[in-house]
Amino acid sequence: MTTAGVRHQPVVPAGMARRDPSGVRLTWLYVRSRRVPAGVLALAVCGAVLRAALHWHWTFTSGPYAQQVPLIIEAGAAAAIAVTSHGPFGEAERATGRWLPYLRLGIALGLTGVAIGLLQLGVLGEGLNQGVLVLARNVIGITGIGLLCSLVTGGLLAWTLPLGYMAFCQYALLEGWTAPWTWPVRPPADRGAWTAACVVFAVGLIVFTVRGPRTRLTDNG
Amino acid sequence: MTVMATAVPGSARVPGPSRVLRLEIKRSVVPWVLPLLAALFYFDTIRTASGLPPVWTLRASAITDHMLNDFDAFGAGLAAWVGSREGRRKTGDLVAATPRAAWARQAAALGGTAFWLLLAFLAGVAVLYVQTGLQATWGGPPLWPVFVGVADVIVVTVFGFTCGTLFPGRFTAPLVAIAIFLLDFAGFHAALNVTAGSSTYGLLAPDTSPPPVDAGVFYHGLPDVPIAQVMFMGGITLALLGVLGLAPVLRKLASRGWPVRGTLVDGDGWWLRAIAVVLLAAGVAASWTAYSLAGTAKLTATGWEIPALHDAASDEPVPFVPDCTSGPDGFRVCVHPAFSGYLSDVAAALDPVAAEIAGLPGAPVRAEQVASVGTGPGGFEPSYIAGNPAVFDYNGEQVGDLFGGFRGIPAGAGPFWRAAFQQGLLDSFLAEPPHPAAAARTGLAPLGAAQQAVEDALMIAAGSQPPQDAVQGGQSGGPSQAQITAAARRFAALSPSARHAWLAAHLRALESGQITLGQLP
Repeated sequence: MTTAGVRHQPVVPAGMARRDPSGVRLTWLYVRSRRVPAGVLALAVCGAVLRAALHWHWTFTSGPYAQQVPLIIEAGAAAAIAVTSHGPFGEAERATGRWLPYLRLGIALGLTGVAIGLLQLGVLGEGLNQGVLVLARNVIGITGIGLLCSLVTGGLLAWTLPLGYMAFCQYALLEGWTAPWTWPVRPPADRGAWTAACVVFAVGLIVFTVRGPRTRLTDNG
Repeated sequence: MTVMATAVPGSARVPGPSRVLRLEIKRSVVPWVLPLLAALFYFDTIRTASGLPPVWTLRASAITDHMLNDFDAFGAGLAAWVGSREGRRKTGDLVAATPRAAWARQAAALGGTAFWLLLAFLAGVAVLYVQTGLQATWGGPPLWPVFVGVADVIVVTVFGFTCGTLFPGRFTAPLVAIAIFLLDFAGFHAALNVTAGSSTYGLLAPDTSPPPVDAGVFYHGLPDVPIAQVMFMGGITLALLGVLGLAPVLRKLASRGWPVRGTLVDGDGWWLRAIAVVLLAAGVAASWTAYSLAGTAKLTATGWEIPALHDAASDEPVPFVPDCTSGPDGFRVCVHPAFSGYLSDVAAALDPVAAEIAGLPGAPVRAEQVASVGTGPGGFEPSYIAGNPAVFDYNGEQVGDLFGGFRGIPAGAGPFWRAAFQQGLLDSFLAEPPHPAAAARTGLAPLGAAQQAVEDALMIAAGSQPPQDAVQGGQSGGPSQAQITAAARRFAALSPSARHAWLAAHLRALESGQITLGQLP
C-alpha cells in the first residue's frame, strides 16, 4: 500500500462546501473560546447598571463620594475584560500557530473600546461626575491592571487585582490622595493620571500579548 | 498475592466530613488573596481607625464601615469562584458517582471558604482591638460590631457560593463581587440619610453613618439595631442554604419544566429537600421579621431604639469618675476618662480665659465634658454655662463654633483649636443672660459688636488669636469688622485689673446688649 491514493483532495461534506475565510473563522473560534459574547453582555449590564445608578441617584452628586459608584462599575467592566483572557486549551494552544498574540491583542483592545462605548452609552442624558474622560481613563488603567494580573493568576482570577485596586481607590478618594498612580481620584485632564493609566494599560497589553495569561494543565473552565 | 486479597468487603471507608473539609481548607483559593486583603485592611481600616480618638465604640465602627466593604466583595467573589467549580469544570457527571452526596461536597467547599474568610476577618478585628486596647484609657471592646461582621461575612460567602453554584461561569465571580460592592455602597448611602420608618435598608445594612465621638461612652451603645441586623442576615443565610439544598431540583426544573411536586418528592433525597424547604421558609420568616422590626425603629438620645427588642436598662447612663485637673487660679477642667488624653490640652486652652473672667458674676468655676448627643442645631448639644456655681458644659463634638473638637489625636491640638475652645466658653459667658441649660441647647444668640470686641480682647489677653472666620460681629448696618478689631485691641491694652473692674461694673449691661462699641474703654 502506498500513499498515492490519498494525494487527491478529500471529499468535503455537502454542508461544509461554503466556508468562511480561515482568518474570520479562526477569530470567531478564538472569540467563542474566550466567551467574548458573554463578556460583551456583561459590559452591557455594567452600562445599564451605571445608567440606573445615575438615573435613580444611587450615587452622590458632588464631593469625593460622587465618583465611588461609577468607579465600582468601571472596575467591574475592566474585570470582565480581564476574565475573557482565559482560554480553555491551556498550554497546547500556544503551539497552534503564530496568530494567537494578534488575537489576544485585538480582542483586549476591542473589548476595552466596547467597554468605554457601552458605559458612555449608559450615561447618555445623565450627569456623570467628572465626565467621560475619567470614565475612559479608569477603564483603560484598570483593564491594564487586570491584564497584568492574568499573567500571574491566570485569566479566571484576573478580576482580583482590579477589584483590590478599586477598593484602594475608594479609600484614596475619601482621603484626598493625589498621587498619579491613583488616577481615579485625579481631575479629568490631569496629565500625570493619564500617563499612569496609559502606561499601565500599555505594559499590561504588551506583556499580555506576548506572553498570554498564565495557563495550567487544569485549565478547562 | 493479588489485589483481590486486599479487598476485604466492608473495609472501604469513605473519607469523613472533617477530612474533606481539611482538604478544602488546604486547597482553598482564599489564602492567595489574603495579602491583598491585608493591604486593604491596613490602608482602609487601620489607618482610618488610627485617625480616630482611642474610644472603643468609635474605633469599632471601622469594622462595619470600612473593613466589611473589602471583605464582603472579595468574600462573595471568591465564594462564587469556589461554588462554580463543578459547573465551570463540567465535572458534575463525574462527581455524581462519588459516595458523598452533592450537598456534602458543597458544604465542605463552602466551609473551607468560610473558614478562611472568618479567620481573616477575626484576625483583622484582633489587630484593630489590640491597637485600640493599647491606646484606650477607658472601657472595653464592643462585641456587637464583631457579631454583625461575622454574620455579614457568612451571608456574603453563602450568597456568592449560591450564585456560583446556580450560575457557574467565568463571569459569575467578578460580577458577584462588584454587585456586593454596590450593595455595600447603597447601604452606606442609605445609612447616611436614614430616617425613622423611611429607610429600613439603611438601618439593616452593616454600614452606619459616622457615630459621635463619644458614642458608647456616656450611654451604652444600643444593641437593638445590631440584633435586627444579625437576625436579617442570619435569615438570608438560612434561606440561601435552603436554595443550595434545592439546587438539584432547580436544575431539573430548568431542564424539564413543571410540575414541581413530582420533582420535590422523587428519588431517595426527599428528606434533604424537605429540610431545604424548611430552611428556606425559616430564613425568609426571620429576615422578614427583622425587616419589620427595623421599620419600627425610632431615634432617641442614646441611638436607634427598636421597641420590641429594647431593654430599658441600656438607657441608663454609664457610671464613670471624671478625669480632672485644676489650673493655677483654681479653675477645674474635667473630661470623661475615655478622653484623658485631651485633658491637658483642654485645660491649657480654658485656663487663661477662665482666669480673665474669674470672680465675675456668672463666671464658671469648672468645665465639664457632657454627652454630645442632643437636639441642637448641629444634632449635638451645644456648649453652655449653667448652674450655681456656674459650670461650663461642653462636649467632644461641639464647643462654640468648633465641631469635632475631640476627633483626631490630642497632639493635633493647635492654636486654632485652643482659640475655638476659648471662644466657646466666652460665647456662653457673654451671651444674653440667663443661661438655663434648656435655652442654651437651642443655640446661643450671635454676639453683638461690643460683646464680640470684649470676647476678642479677652482672647488676645489670654495669648490667643481670635478666629477671624468665626467673628460674629460686623452685621449689616452695625460697626464694621475693623471697628470691632480696633475696640478689641484697645480693651486688651488695658491692665488686667482695669479690664476686670470694668467688666465687673458693666457685665450685665454688656450681656443684655446695652453697651455700644464706643462705650468700651
